Amino acid sequence: MAESDNPISRRTLLAGATLGLASWRLWAAQPAEIKVGLLVPLSGLYARPGNVMRHGAEMAIDHINAQGGVKALGGVRLGLSVIDCGDTTEKAKNAAQRMVAQQTDLVAAIGAYLSSFTLAVTEVTERASLPLLTLSYADSITDRGFKYVFQTSATAQAQAEQALPEIMKLAQAATGKRPQTVAIITDNTGASIASVKPMRERLLAANGLKLVVDETFTPPLADATSLVQKVRSARPDLLFFLPTVISDAKLVLEKMNEFGLGQGRIPTVSFGIAIAEPDMLQTVAPEFLQGVLTCVANWGFKGHEALIAEFKSRYKEPWMTQNAISTYGDMWVIKNALEAAGKADRASVATALRTMNGGPSKYYPGGEVRFDAKGRRVGAGMTVVQWQSGIPVTVMPPQLAMAQPVWPKK
Amino acid sequence: MGRRRDARLGLKQGNAVTALVEGIFQALVAGLLIGAIYGIMCVGLGLIFGVMRVINFAQGDFMMLGMYAAFYCFTAFGVGAVFGTTWGPFVSILAAGPILALVGYVVHRLLISRVSGTRTASLEGEGHHAQLVLTLGIALVLQNGGLMAFGSVLASIRTPLSSSAWELGPFLDMSVFVNKARGIDALMAVAIMAGLALLISRSRLGKQLRAAADNSVAATYMGIDVDRAHRIAFALGTGITAIAGGLLATNYPFHPFVGVDYVIVMYAGVVLGGMGSIVGAFWGGMTIGLVQQMSTLILPTQLQNAAIFVVFLLIVFFRPQGFFGRNVERT
Repeated sequence: MAESDNPISRRTLLAGATLGLASWRLWAAQPAEIKVGLLVPLSGLYARPGNVMRHGAEMAIDHINAQGGVKALGGVRLGLSVIDCGDTTEKAKNAAQRMVAQQTDLVAAIGAYLSSFTLAVTEVTERASLPLLTLSYADSITDRGFKYVFQTSATAQAQAEQALPEIMKLAQAATGKRPQTVAIITDNTGASIASVKPMRERLLAANGLKLVVDETFTPPLADATSLVQKVRSARPDLLFFLPTVISDAKLVLEKMNEFGLGQGRIPTVSFGIAIAEPDMLQTVAPEFLQGVLTCVANWGFKGHEALIAEFKSRYKEPWMTQNAISTYGDMWVIKNALEAAGKADRASVATALRTMNGGPSKYYPGGEVRFDAKGRRVGAGMTVVQWQSGIPVTVMPPQLAMAQPVWPKK
Repeated sequence: MGRRRDARLGLKQGNAVTALVEGIFQALVAGLLIGAIYGIMCVGLGLIFGVMRVINFAQGDFMMLGMYAAFYCFTAFGVGAVFGTTWGPFVSILAAGPILALVGYVVHRLLISRVSGTRTASLEGEGHHAQLVLTLGIALVLQNGGLMAFGSVLASIRTPLSSSAWELGPFLDMSVFVNKARGIDALMAVAIMAGLALLISRSRLGKQLRAAADNSVAATYMGIDVDRAHRIAFALGTGITAIAGGLLATNYPFHPFVGVDYVIVMYAGVVLGGMGSIVGAFWGGMTIGLVQQMSTLILPTQLQNAAIFVVFLLIVFFRPQGFFGRNVERT
């Protein structure tokens, strides 16, 4: 009778102590913060997009931590380790080497903006068995048999395959006839070359387009006269323009206008983000951009109005580019991999990424949050963005569009 | 009118010869215009490297500062508001020259003078090793300081002239465009070059600079303050390169690391023109502009910068003293 009056029995006390000790040991085994690396250019020619990627990563980490961190690890917070990869492939590779040597507590990383940088960086991260998520496009990034690189964007080839038929349909609907001839002006960076290669080999012919000008340049250009003069002489129905440096985009668009070819006289379709970066408005008059289309792996799209509004207000950015939203999404993918792994080590995170089945993607256009054997996101789609009244808006695919596409014609 | 419009829009696809000739003229014009800007860019370095024998790897970064000085004169200090978007950029560019000349004067007084001029006697390799390290250090400080001060957002001196052109023709179904901003840039570059040539050849200051450059010891014996002459040359060189940067910026958006792309062009131009020759440096820069643009007529565009260095090597091989250099001053 006396025993039953005592609210804490000896067994209860022992069980409680054991549980407490076990919890403490579990807590002690987890780091105070789980570090994710962000290896992006923060100096040199590409510092601006690198900074925008940083903003996307920071915002994701704040949201993840505000929602309780990594719950499978007792609510451990995510932390960001930012590393500047500079503006050349050599600097990017050196930065990656420093990162894996000095920051052994990283469980995963995101990088490195330009495909050429990502190709160099992943040579290092692969040897260090560090999982790396990338928004870079080049097919070769995931064509080398690497096990620790995960491409969340559609590859350049996949984007070209998806985009060309849609562009042709749009042109035909607006003008009543399909374009017959095309000029290509591209820089020689990894993503641009990867986009153009399947076009030259088969996609142009498959879409009934004849290539009349094919020019490749090394960025940055000093002057665009010779390139645009060739377009002027050939007078194609379409121009495919693939820059990765904003100054090149400005020089070509202004030269097109100077030669009387701009503002829709030769409809211009770009591939990649450079031509839709906010910096374009600092350098080019909005009327030269009106109607220019670009095919991008990701962009702020329908359903993300609140996220876009927060990003704009927090970082004083005019819109949310691929660099921001893809990096934001990548951070959530890493968080989900940590939840699935239940351990804060890179091997477990890599295994979790390989076996992940996260259902339809929320922060990327189309497809699922699942990776195939090469490390490519399954069913990855793309967006087509168009400059309309001084803002690049998502116009395709229809289910993600925030405005109707308008074919530039004069 | 119809013919004029057809020529403007290039509607003569059938005539390959016309298109080729038009392409040649267009490349020639583009080469001359960009070459004039490269020319005074090289003249700025020519004063410092060619005359003072100071290896200055920060010259591209002084050019970058010149671009930002012109940009802020135009946008923040009211020049744009007073002179408008057509002439305001050029007034701002001219204002950037003296500002950067002052910066150059101070940098020389505080830093460069310690590894150049009369002090090189006590330094290894005539002070060149120390100059290399010092100017590389200044370049790094300017680049990263620029990133902190100006940010990574591209800046641009925007003028409607950068996207409009004077049309020459049509003649024989051809027309050639001369970009208005680049055209004015080129005229300013030539005027500055002519003014500098007069200053160097006719003025008392010019004589002092030439004497200090030719033989600094003898110049000292003649009562010339060689250190002061070098300081003035450094300031002039920095100011002229700043103006060149401003002229470039009317068409070319820039960022704190833009100088890296142009410092090699400057050195190549100075060596091509001939060490010690200011006029030679201008023609060296002009040659680079012409080769860069004309090479695209026969070579893939991505090789246009490689073409510059092929021509550079050929000239160094066949005429090692450069266009205007003396035989004793071999490149």
